[in-house]
Amino acid sequence: MDVRKFSIPEIIFGRGGLRYAGLCARRLGAEKVFLVSDPGVEKAGWVERLMSVLAGEKLNWVYFCNVVSNPRDYQVEAGADLYKLQGADVVIALGGGSPMDAAKGIALLASNGGLITDYEGANRIHRPLPPMLFIPTTAGSGSDVSQFCIITDMKRRVKMSIISRTLVPNISIIDPLILETKTENLIIASAVDALCHAIESYISKIASPFTESQSLKAIDLIVKNLKPAVENRSLENLEQLSIASTAAGMAFSNASLGMAHALAHSLGGIFDTLHGMVHPVLLPSVMRYNYRSCPEKTAVIGRILLGGRRRSEKSTAMAGIVRLEEFLHSFNVSVRLRDIVQNREMLPVLSRIAENDVCLLTNPRPVTWEDFLNVCREAW
Amino acid sequence: MRSETTLEDLIGIEHTKLGFFRDVQEKIAEIRASNKELQARQRHIQAIFDGYTDIAVVVSLDLKIKSVNRVFHEVYKEPHPIGKNCYEVFRGCERPCSSCPVIAARESNEVCRELVIYPLPSGGKNRHFQLTASPLRTPEGKPGQILLLIRDVTLEHEYQARYYQAETMAAIGVLAAGVGHEINNPLTAISGFAEGLNRRLPKLEGRVEDAVLKDFDEYIAIILKECRRAREIVQSLLTFSRQKSSEFIAVDINPLIEETVRLLRHRLKDFPEGHIRLELDRSLPPVKGDPSRLKQVILNNVLNALDATATRGSITLRTYLMNKNWVAIAFEDTGCGIPAQYLGKLFEPFFTTKQVGSGIGIGLSTCHNIISDHGGVIVVCSQEGQGSTFLVRLPLPDQVDNAQL
Repeated sequence: MDVRKFSIPEIIFGRGGLRYAGLCARRLGAEKVFLVSDPGVEKAGWVERLMSVLAGEKLNWVYFCNVVSNPRDYQVEAGADLYKLQGADVVIALGGGSPMDAAKGIALLASNGGLITDYEGANRIHRPLPPMLFIPTTAGSGSDVSQFCIITDMKRRVKMSIISRTLVPNISIIDPLILETKTENLIIASAVDALCHAIESYISKIASPFTESQSLKAIDLIVKNLKPAVENRSLENLEQLSIASTAAGMAFSNASLGMAHALAHSLGGIFDTLHGMVHPVLLPSVMRYNYRSCPEKTAVIGRILLGGRRRSEKSTAMAGIVRLEEFLHSFNVSVRLRDIVQNREMLPVLSRIAENDVCLLTNPRPVTWEDFLNVCREAW
Repeated sequence: MRSETTLEDLIGIEHTKLGFFRDVQEKIAEIRASNKELQARQRHIQAIFDGYTDIAVVVSLDLKIKSVNRVFHEVYKEPHPIGKNCYEVFRGCERPCSSCPVIAARESNEVCRELVIYPLPSGGKNRHFQLTASPLRTPEGKPGQILLLIRDVTLEHEYQARYYQAETMAAIGVLAAGVGHEINNPLTAISGFAEGLNRRLPKLEGRVEDAVLKDFDEYIAIILKECRRAREIVQSLLTFSRQKSSEFIAVDINPLIEETVRLLRHRLKDFPEGHIRLELDRSLPPVKGDPSRLKQVILNNVLNALDATATRGSITLRTYLMNKNWVAIAFEDTGCGIPAQYLGKLFEPFFTTKQVGSGIGIGLSTCHNIISDHGGVIVVCSQEGQGSTFLVRLPLPDQVDNAQL
């Protein structure tokens, strides 16, 4: 095996873990926290709860919530200006993937200067970032443990991937209690996002034993717990989902992803599609496309999805994909690409943009834009 | 998307989460370097400060001393001036001085100068100080502290006064010589013709009334007497104005004094026995000088002392060797003394306290000129009602060259 690397932040996991946020921030040297969240999280009352925790630690803070899903370049720049103007120190993000990625972008610009587009790509950051403490509220994005930051370049309408080990937060506090206020749609979307992270990182070209075990663990937990979590919203099931999401995050941060995410990024850039909406549509088609390059791994996934093996490796793999489709269908979400992209003429444009996405590097099977187009047509 | 991203980039073995440790180390190194530079600069500034030959003091706006230079410690005894009020340290006062250039500089935000005369707190004579207070301005341009430079100009003022006096003497000398010569000619004519008249007087006997003749006789005698007096005045003017001294020879001072006192025998008849006491150092080496002019100085001073002791007191004339370099002649009397306000003017020409007709006031200034010509110094110290001492110092031969400095 080639030399691999596995790096993750300090992870604080458990019910009520939020109450350690103030202490952790202070340990990181905080006096005036830069707090990033979004109106949805604020409405659920968690921002207020976090502020009282910070106040209990006698910390000051600057609150920034000008964040939408698929955070934009100008929002990040405005946030960095506010950070510098206010002389803030530790960056805390409370929310899903969007506030967390926005917080990473803000931390990056506040310390390294320039424009967010200057850092597009891998390892272009040369100066340390402010300490970052992230508190995920969705159990899906994995941004709280990953080295990825996805920001939309509004001029090109492209979701830029910024990849750097220095974007891994210092501390991730995962408190399953926060998940209790999530809507049903959000629980499904983030769990499917985490499932996609798990599957794509598992079949990645740079997957290692350390990421693979996390990936498989995540797939298993999501398959077992998503249905009961949606039906009875029990804390036990939600907690298992957030373990799954964190495990998937650890896996993809180190093993990266594949063509499903490449396509999801181009969709998000052009149509501003919610990231979690894309995967139920694309994942089965992508798995079928990749099968030829990773039959054994697809079969391992199939065995977990099916709860046992079939006669052959191939039949296990294929049955697994069918089971995945059924599993996704059972949640009453869009499963056809036409629900997202009404105009079929746009598919070639999407495919050409996706062809350049950094996630394709680790896809087990080489992909051209025509391949993308075929997958899209299959999923349409 | 930039195409050069590779799988190795994603694995990122060569990349880690960047920490602040190196940043902090670099900052510390930077701060150390700049601190070192600041210290060097501060030493440089202190060296400049200490290099001033005047006293330099930095004073805060509430008149507290912030720092002093080396010269301060040479002049003032105060070992710990920092933090004390400037007026306490410099003047020994309890409140700010009335004409304070520091306060003026603080109020006007401009350089202020002041000439003040006061003794050092450790005592001694009054000294002249030139004070210069310049505001050290803050970045906003307001005075933050005041730099006070204190220059002791006592000596400069003395030299200036001496220079002024020498100038005056020279000018008056020229004037006196001119006047003397101009008056001498008519005087010679007047006295010559008066003598002629006197010789012809007998021829008038019997031709005019006796009473008229007697008047003529008396008038001519008065004319001749006043002519003599006028000639003496002219002579003293010419002596005063003599620019070039004659050839100097080795002179023993003691015999000159004894000779002078002998000359005055008949004036001493009015005084009690032993009115003038001589305390002469017999081992006194000779000085170089003009004996007749030195005798004039001695005569003048003794005559002055006699005037001062007309009603009470006595006179002592002493000679001694002073600091191995000088021959000193002290004319001490315990007479009436000199009022303080006259002390500064004694050696000015034509200054006299005597009645009109009993002197024109050039005796002491002539003495001053003569002693100066000899490279010496004449000073006075007197207390009204207690007596006076005139001290003449003449340099020993090998000191003559330096004495003028």
